[in-house]
Amino acid sequence: MTFFRGLTAQWRERYRKMSIQLVLSLSFTAVAAAGILLIGVSLIWRFSSASEQMVAENSQRVLALANMNLDSYLRRMMRIADTVYYRVIKDTDLAEGSLTGPLNLLYEENRDDLVSLAVFDSRGVPVSAVPLASLKEQADPAGSDWFQAASRSMENLHFSTPHVQNIFDDPNSPYRWVVSLSHHVQLTRDGVTEGGVVLVDMSFSGIEQVCRGVTLGEGGYLYLIDGDGELIYHPRQQLIYAGLLEENNRAAAGYRDGSHMELFQGQHRQVTVKTVGYTGWKLVGVAPASYWLTASPQLFLFGLSLLLFSIFLMAFLNFRISARIADPIRRLEQSIKALEGGQEDVEIEEGGCYEIQHLSRSVRSMVSTMRHLMDDIIRQEGQKRRGELEVLQSQINPHFLYNTLDSVIWMVEAEQRAEAIQMVTSLARFFRISLSKGKSVIPLSDELDHARHYMNIQQIRFKNRFTTRIEARPGTEELYTLKLIVQPILENAIYHGMASAEDDGLIQVTAWREEDSLVIDVADNGLGMRPEVAAALLDEDRPEVRTSGSGIGLRNVHRRIRLTFGPEYGLTIFSEPDEGTLVRIRLPALTREEADRRQQGEVL
Amino acid sequence: MKRKNNSLIEYIILGVLGTLVALTLVVPQLFRDRRPPRLLSLSVLLRDTDNSGWSAARQGMEQAADELGAELRFLTLTLQNDSREQEELLTRELDGGADALVVVPADPEALYAALLRQQTPCPVVTLESPMEGSAGLAAPDNALLGQKLAQALLEDWDGGTVVLLDTAGGCSGVTARLEAAQETLEAAGVPVQRTDKLPGGGSRWVMAFDRAATQQAGEEKEAEGFAFALYGVGATAAVTAQLERGTIAALAAWSDYAAGYLAVRQAVETAQGEGRLLEPLSFSIVRGEDIYAPENQKLLFPVTS
Repeated sequence: MTFFRGLTAQWRERYRKMSIQLVLSLSFTAVAAAGILLIGVSLIWRFSSASEQMVAENSQRVLALANMNLDSYLRRMMRIADTVYYRVIKDTDLAEGSLTGPLNLLYEENRDDLVSLAVFDSRGVPVSAVPLASLKEQADPAGSDWFQAASRSMENLHFSTPHVQNIFDDPNSPYRWVVSLSHHVQLTRDGVTEGGVVLVDMSFSGIEQVCRGVTLGEGGYLYLIDGDGELIYHPRQQLIYAGLLEENNRAAAGYRDGSHMELFQGQHRQVTVKTVGYTGWKLVGVAPASYWLTASPQLFLFGLSLLLFSIFLMAFLNFRISARIADPIRRLEQSIKALEGGQEDVEIEEGGCYEIQHLSRSVRSMVSTMRHLMDDIIRQEGQKRRGELEVLQSQINPHFLYNTLDSVIWMVEAEQRAEAIQMVTSLARFFRISLSKGKSVIPLSDELDHARHYMNIQQIRFKNRFTTRIEARPGTEELYTLKLIVQPILENAIYHGMASAEDDGLIQVTAWREEDSLVIDVADNGLGMRPEVAAALLDEDRPEVRTSGSGIGLRNVHRRIRLTFGPEYGLTIFSEPDEGTLVRIRLPALTREEADRRQQGEVL
Repeated sequence: MKRKNNSLIEYIILGVLGTLVALTLVVPQLFRDRRPPRLLSLSVLLRDTDNSGWSAARQGMEQAADELGAELRFLTLTLQNDSREQEELLTRELDGGADALVVVPADPEALYAALLRQQTPCPVVTLESPMEGSAGLAAPDNALLGQKLAQALLEDWDGGTVVLLDTAGGCSGVTARLEAAQETLEAAGVPVQRTDKLPGGGSRWVMAFDRAATQQAGEEKEAEGFAFALYGVGATAAVTAQLERGTIAALAAWSDYAAGYLAVRQAVETAQGEGRLLEPLSFSIVRGEDIYAPENQKLLFPVTS
């Protein structure tokens, strides 16, 4: 049971992994093979039962013919017995005449079929006998089976089983096998009637001739038995008598007329029985089943080849048909797989039968809808990002504008006109770069100018408590950067790093190219901070507290870079207390074309 | 490409199978051997001058030959038990291309020696006497037969010497019967006398151990009016008639038909390389009053038309 469950589970597993073409092919082939086998078996069964029926009919026909011949022969013998009685014995008074002459005539007339003709009185004394008249010394006719059968049942004619004729003394000692026909008769002697027995010894050859010529197909034969199953004739009678062969004659005696199947000595055979009228004898026709069941090796080979050919042809056709059905489905599946793999220019083929075409159209329509939806989502996502960026950028401007204007007011009040002009000029340049015609990606030189103007403003504000160095190393001249990313870091450096500076503060901005990246370092020699504090500055989970130099500017820059270029870019902060702080900006090294493409929103 | 190859293979298999179907129809017709199967040639060498005593055996042989596809040649000797002539006949038959031989050996040892001299090995099945190197013996157990016949005599014996006719010459089967009978009789204290000639009227008990000697003894007994009780072997018509007439008191009989059938079957099968072991034939001791018992009728009288 477990084995079958395991087998079923294994089969299900395999079935799940099978392609539709294989499933269709195997199913169709299995059904076709089963059909062919079923038809073959049915045909063989029908053929064998028809053959069996035909053999039975043939046997019955042959047996009917043999029966007719045997019956005719026996009737002739019976007529001889009747002739002896009614034409010879009835007309003769034994006291006046002899029966020998008429008996002799009858014998001569039928000598081919007869061995002897004799009439015995009721004591078994021969009245007359031809061709031999004298009995053997030890002969006892009255004790013979044929005599006693005739005496017991006087009305009937009696046929004995074959035996050796043993009562007449023959100098040549031929010992001939005969079948004795005996009949009780009334003898007349001196006008007085007395009982007697007529004996007609039929030559065994007469029966043999009737039966020998009968053939029942290859290996078939016919034999004759009496009512008790005793053999009368058998084509291999002597072998049976010698004990070299056995026959199922006793069982055959119990069969009714007709055809029967029997198993004898391991051999299936059809036995057809026909009772011979009057005598109760039975003609038995035997046809071995192998005669009609066993196919020749050539026929078997032919059948096998035909079967293999049919199954393979079916399999071949099934593979072709299933391929026609499955191929469009497979192509559709491959298209969908390609779509799943992210390929965009996938052509969904409309092939195969109506249902597949319909499915392909549906998939194509679905893909088209999906693509539109995707584009919409992407567009919306881009807009959302842009919106976020704009919000982030807008968070910078109010701080700075407020502080700068505050400084300008202070300088005007202090009548520091030159400084105020310089500051306003720097502010104007600063804002011009900030606007940059609405572009979010600007040349690195503009960004550094922007930082420079910002630092000019701040240096005026902080009365040159710190020095600023801005350097763009070779290789960065043509590069572009996201705008307004250096200024917030400078702002933090000023408010954190330079808070306690006298006039020795130094803020250094250095831009250089590192492989495919643009790196901008903003370093100060200010107070510095503990590394964990530095790390926390970029923590997104940290609550936003809007104070000057709270680090929100840093986080905004970091978020903008990552939103724009991905998580591998952004800020890194290195800081140690009393050592200073280095904020490193890492960006992709954008060329003009890439910057233009980004600007046009292609990447987004 | 792979798909194209698969299609090609499928077409090839389909073609091969189609061709096979056609070949299975056509080839057997083309190569069918229409010649009838060759009949095996079997020679039967007797040790007698005529084969009338072997008529039942001959019927059995012919039945077997008919069933198994063989043709028979019966050869008799010009002199009874002439082993030299039998050797010559054997050589001649083998030179003539006989496929197998069935022999009633006059002298098994001499015959074996003659057989050894032949270049081509040929299966030889013997009747009556065993022979070294033979493919089988189709005969009853000779020693047992002699013993049982002697026991039948002992049932009747009431005194006097039993004459054992030693007519076998070199025939070992007959000698085995005789010696077994002699041993049984001597064990029972019965005086025996071995002789090769029938004694005169003075003897009361005579035993013969081959069919020719039995028939001859019976004929002489009837002709001369001897009163001895004769015990013999065989189931020929003449011997059976003597048994019926009371000339022979008891007869050891077996089915010559069966012996002949089995001998030829064994010879044919051995020639075809399929020989089997032959079991000794069963035999019966039949007395005159039992001759027409149904089983004895079947044993003694072949069914002939």
